Amino acid sequence: MIPEAVLTRVFGCDPNDVNDTTSPDTLAEWDSLGHITLLIELESTYGVSFSPEETLAMNSVAAVKRALQAHDVQW
Amino acid sequence: MVQKTGETMQAPPIRPILDTHGSDFEVAKMLLRESLRTAAPQATIAALSIMAPTACLELLCDPVHAIAAAFSNADLSTLIQTAIRSFDGDPAKLRRIASVLAKRYSETLTGEAAQDVIGALGAELDPAEDAAFESIARRFPHHPGLLRAAIKIADTQGDDARLDELLTRLGAADGTPGTVAFIHRFRQRRQAPRPADVRIAVVSSFTVNQLVPYVDLACRKLNLSPDFYISPFNSWTRDFVDEGSGLRRFLPDIVFLAVSIDDLAPQLTRSLTLEELEAAGATALERVVNVAASFRTWSQAPLVVHSFHSAFVGPLGVLDDGADVSRAAWLARLNARLAESLRALPLCYLLDVGGTTSRAGGLRDNAKLRHLASMRLPPEALPGLADAYVRYIVPVKGLTKKCVVLDLDNTLWGGIIGEGSKDEILLGHTSPGSEFVEFQEFLRSLSARGILLALNSKNNPDDALEAIRTHEAMVLRETDFSAIRINWKPKPENMISIAEELNIGVESLVFVDDNPDEREQMRQLLPQVLTVDLPKDPALYRSVLEGLPELQTLAVTAEDRSRVEQYRTTRLREQAKLTVGGVGEYLRSLEIHVAIELASKQNAVRVAQLFARTNQFNVTTRRYDMADVGRFLEDSQRRLFVLSSRDRFGAHGLVALALVRIGSISWEIDSFIMSCRVIGYGIEGALLAHLSQQAHAAGVRDLIGEFIETKKNAPANDLYARHGFREVDARGEVHRWQLSLRTPIPFPAWIKVDAP
Repeated sequence: MIPEAVLTRVFGCDPNDVNDTTSPDTLAEWDSLGHITLLIELESTYGVSFSPEETLAMNSVAAVKRALQAHDVQW
Repeated sequence: MVQKTGETMQAPPIRPILDTHGSDFEVAKMLLRESLRTAAPQATIAALSIMAPTACLELLCDPVHAIAAAFSNADLSTLIQTAIRSFDGDPAKLRRIASVLAKRYSETLTGEAAQDVIGALGAELDPAEDAAFESIARRFPHHPGLLRAAIKIADTQGDDARLDELLTRLGAADGTPGTVAFIHRFRQRRQAPRPADVRIAVVSSFTVNQLVPYVDLACRKLNLSPDFYISPFNSWTRDFVDEGSGLRRFLPDIVFLAVSIDDLAPQLTRSLTLEELEAAGATALERVVNVAASFRTWSQAPLVVHSFHSAFVGPLGVLDDGADVSRAAWLARLNARLAESLRALPLCYLLDVGGTTSRAGGLRDNAKLRHLASMRLPPEALPGLADAYVRYIVPVKGLTKKCVVLDLDNTLWGGIIGEGSKDEILLGHTSPGSEFVEFQEFLRSLSARGILLALNSKNNPDDALEAIRTHEAMVLRETDFSAIRINWKPKPENMISIAEELNIGVESLVFVDDNPDEREQMRQLLPQVLTVDLPKDPALYRSVLEGLPELQTLAVTAEDRSRVEQYRTTRLREQAKLTVGGVGEYLRSLEIHVAIELASKQNAVRVAQLFARTNQFNVTTRRYDMADVGRFLEDSQRRLFVLSSRDRFGAHGLVALALVRIGSISWEIDSFIMSCRVIGYGIEGALLAHLSQQAHAAGVRDLIGEFIETKKNAPANDLYARHGFREVDARGEVHRWQLSLRTPIPFPAWIKVDAP
């Protein structure tokens, strides 16, 4: 599953509205509560565990992808 | 593997051809035709679907080339999926293609491929596309992706009822945190299609926002529409204590209090002496019990308190479990004291969240989420906890069922009973057979909650009854069933007659049958009955019924505990009626005794229950709750009389009450209620006679009665007329009756009075 698909699943947004620049500023559903849900779903989808620093740094789809790549995740 | 490589080798070399010609339609067509003659068309087309998705999709749409026939449904679906995902051309074109594909392959596509096709169509469908989607959706009622697509479409069409149902189904199909949060947010975003019917407050010392979507979903599954209040961060105490707090203004129907011992005693992360542990525990206990007591002063809603659980083990490692400072033993002691303190408060309950520090299991929080988001509950525990919440919510909403109606063959025992085949059924101490014994033990225990059992089975009655009476491993015997229907009639018909015999509504019945056809028929013909889906494995029967929210009760009175016995004696009475000539003689033969007294704290719960539940013999149907009853006991202007009765077959319990407003000139009967179990014995006459004699003795001139007509209280409509009252006023449903007390009402001759 591509990272964008995890976002559309969690936030219920249109896949066409999600790209690398999508962030908590552009997506109303991506609030602090949504961020925790996204974290839980990313970790269970890709079988990884993010550090607190990584979690805080995931402030856009591009940043999510960077964090996944740092864990050698392929999609 | 080797063979597969060989097949691929035989396929035409696509890459060089495409490199030369581009992804041209004619080339693609040529390649496809060519590949169908080779041994591995799938390999060619799979490659083609990635490299030339448009051509590939158009070919699949083309009615002239019956290419689809060369593929299995699975391969065709994979092909379409790959092509749609590789497509990077004009979205309008993809939509046109998807429209054709949806209509042509609605009966063959896999769920995954259908999801991609529907995704390409978007949310606005024409009628033909709608029909195609309908037929796809019918084949995959539990496919999360398709359900999400259906939700989008229903949202666009503004079909609220359908949307509601789809969201609940999606939650059942996909219970991951992301999806459940999505469903909850979706519901909050839209205007509620109907007003909330249960107001749930969750007050907590930590973040519970992740739990609420699961509780919402669990309520929707029971067709409840909840409204939630979540206490603001760090204000759980103030919410209970402060006047005008958010919690108070919310007017909750039920409150859940989730306080973490780790929040109350941060020192638990360190090594502590036994004295330090005990002191921390005592402080925590006091804080929780204090807010519970404060809550009781301003709300009648039930309060459900989480048991304490901790994320931290003691300092001694494996030695900790047996040590005097063992955290597990300390928590167990603390929770036992919490339970005891809560028991002393009305309508306060302890919810065991299964939390111990035991390394062997229990509820451990997720350390990362604790630090990051103040979550004290691990995400994987949330669905189970939400189900536990609902088991308290159901009785609060009065949705508890009254009778479990059971099939026999393969439900209460294994196999099918036939003539003289009693010893061949599976029932005993070894498996297969022990599963059924365990299930029967649970069913028998339901009588402790006041829930009845009945039989509704298609068997030869003699064979079945012989097994029930004489099989040595049977737990449930004939007397455990309050109604028995063993015959060849349709089961829904039996169901109605069981409800009539027990004098309860069909909607109070649960139907348990291993046969899916019987269940389907019951759902079709009597949707009000709760039909339980039994799993195939009888070992799981017990846990399915144990988990059923509709079998939960919050207050168990002595009447509840003996209800099974009461219904059994009712059967004996009915039989006596048939053998004794004349109603008067029959009533005398029952040897009815009553005891009448003023209500007290000891029977307040039962009194509140009568106010809440009685619909038939209830003259004004005023619903007073526990708190009101408490006030009546203190009120010098009111008298609350209660009547208990018995006859030669057994005790009925506390079955009638009268609430009277006392004045110097007249007494007014505000409420007069009698349980429908004892209708027809003239017991109401005894209570009314007692009232008139008491009023007469007090020197009062008149006794005033009121009757407010409802859909259900016809059995009580002639109460006052039968006892010499005169109708003095009637406005709409409200009738006033008056009795002059020169001569009080005589006691019914067939009823004897016991000292209370």
